[in-house]
Amino acid sequence: MAYQIYTASLLKEGLVTYLCLGTDGAFWSTDINKATRMDEQHLHILKAEAEYAAQANIVVGPYPITVTSNDQGLIPVEGREKIRAFGPTITLPSDPVRPASDLHAA
Amino acid sequence: MYQYSQADHQLLQERVAQFRGQVQRRLRGELSEDEFKQQRLRNGLYLQLHAYMLRVAVPYGLLSSNQMRTLAHIARKYDRGYGHFSTRQNIQYNWPKLEDVPQILDDLAAVEMHAIQTSGNCIRNTTSDPLAGVARDEVADPRPYCELIRQWSTFHPEFNFLPRKFKIAVSGAIHDRAAVAVHDIGLRLVKDASDELEFEVYVGGGLGRTPMIGKLIRASLHPHDMLTYLEAILRVYNRLGRRDNLYKARIKILVHETGEEKFRDLVEAEWQEIKASSLRLANEDIARIQSHFKDPDYELLSDFDHDFDSHLLTNPDFANWASKNVELHKKDGYRIVYLSLKSRNQPTGDVTADQMDAIADLADRYSLGAIRSTHRQNLVLSDVKLADLHHLWLELVKLDLATPNYNHLTDIISCPGMDYCALATARSIPIAQALTERFDSYDYINDLGDLSLNISGCINACGHHHVANIGILGVNKRGVEVYQLTLGGSAREDASIGKIIGPAFTSDEIVKAVADILKVYLDKREGPEEAFLAAYRRLGQAPFKEKLYG
Repeated sequence: MAYQIYTASLLKEGLVTYLCLGTDGAFWSTDINKATRMDEQHLHILKAEAEYAAQANIVVGPYPITVTSNDQGLIPVEGREKIRAFGPTITLPSDPVRPASDLHAA
Repeated sequence: MYQYSQADHQLLQERVAQFRGQVQRRLRGELSEDEFKQQRLRNGLYLQLHAYMLRVAVPYGLLSSNQMRTLAHIARKYDRGYGHFSTRQNIQYNWPKLEDVPQILDDLAAVEMHAIQTSGNCIRNTTSDPLAGVARDEVADPRPYCELIRQWSTFHPEFNFLPRKFKIAVSGAIHDRAAVAVHDIGLRLVKDASDELEFEVYVGGGLGRTPMIGKLIRASLHPHDMLTYLEAILRVYNRLGRRDNLYKARIKILVHETGEEKFRDLVEAEWQEIKASSLRLANEDIARIQSHFKDPDYELLSDFDHDFDSHLLTNPDFANWASKNVELHKKDGYRIVYLSLKSRNQPTGDVTADQMDAIADLADRYSLGAIRSTHRQNLVLSDVKLADLHHLWLELVKLDLATPNYNHLTDIISCPGMDYCALATARSIPIAQALTERFDSYDYINDLGDLSLNISGCINACGHHHVANIGILGVNKRGVEVYQLTLGGSAREDASIGKIIGPAFTSDEIVKAVADILKVYLDKREGPEEAFLAAYRRLGQAPFKEKLYG
């Protein structure tokens, strides 16, 4: 089944981030698996929080994306969003972050 | 190289202070993202797929060892330990934080570097021949003219909000190593019939979704008139360039839609108004800048070195490298060395901080402290003694900078593609890496000879695929990355735009498709001396198409 989550870039760091609704309110995480997913009918709840965060200068350019889930967690449907979520699909010259090539097809 | 004056230093310091203020206001929310975006672009700062990306200017590709060490420091302290050399001779950092960028710019300013106008709809970094000042085929050193253009275009009050970005390249040699024909303005230094120096002026070249070769708008321009003529071209563009359609806003579209003759008339008419203005260069203006680019104190050396010849005979790896990555220098006893950033072990054009520091040390030890970047995403040490070549090569091998493939198949230009770029529609780096792994036989690469292969991850063509002998364009077809092949492009003095060969290939198919093309070339060439491009121009598309599609 497909869901919608909200993503954006953190204003200070520029990093990819995802909107999460917690018990203490909304927050943003770079871990896609913490993102709050909604169906189409309830997406407006996320939209309102995302727009507030943009106005509050926490994030830049929020927008919804479609995800599915498997044993490893949430997976964006679109290839570009997979790369945003899991990082470049190549081994970086001196990067400790492991490449995402094992998470989606090259 | 050019040494900053007090005024240059002050300009940079004021610019950094201004941007620091803009960043602070953005972080406090006093500037919206829309308001801030144009400011950050004019300081070279993009917001890309994963993070901010900072593009640092390397004016006409020239760096000192000290500047390279600062670039290493920035990669180490503020980024993830590496940088990427682009197809416009600049360097890019992919992971800086917004709050750190003012300090990065401060660190750059301390070594006379900046990120001014490396983005935005303004005149960008002027690029040039990486062998300027040392090439045997040089007519005149283009660097002083590049520096004059840089000073004229920086913060030019009329040209900071052009219809679109604007790129200028200058070449001073018989062989074009600056891709002059595919720039918005390309200038070529030539000698007239009386052996006087003059410019040929080409306008309206470019790549992207509508690739075009520049038109020769003026065959003969006196160097004194360089800036006034550029001003006239930019004024016509600024006035008449399209602002209603982002995809038709480059000057190439204006030249094409206006017509070459009419466009020339418009520029000439504009030029008549200003050619005698204070912008006209005097001999003293040119001489003052040329004084920064005088020849170093070369030693009087023999062009023969017994040890070098001995190593060539006894060490086939060294000989292979020397045959491709080393060029003759204008001075006997010296050579030009290409540092290949195209190994199989990291993405094309990427350099780690440790490599940058080591390159700086090698430049000091072997090449008078200077390094050049090339639009093919490699580096150059321009003044290496013949006698030092073997020692240098040993050091480069340890640093993984000695891949012997310059101007050969695996000397691939690749844009960052969808692994980094927000505009990309497909990945390019994995394709470049797959091709490098597939074609890892130096005997095979040597046999293929001079051959360019460039890859772009979208129609914006930052990988220059249009002007490669074999070009690859990644596109997205219903969510799947596919790769279109073009053949017959050239970025040199015989510039041409490659032609699409047929339907695109998947990422699984593209490597074999390239192998098939190369097989056709090897089968049908008129001997090893006929290069790929010449063979393609003789044969046409038919035999390649037949092999690929049946």
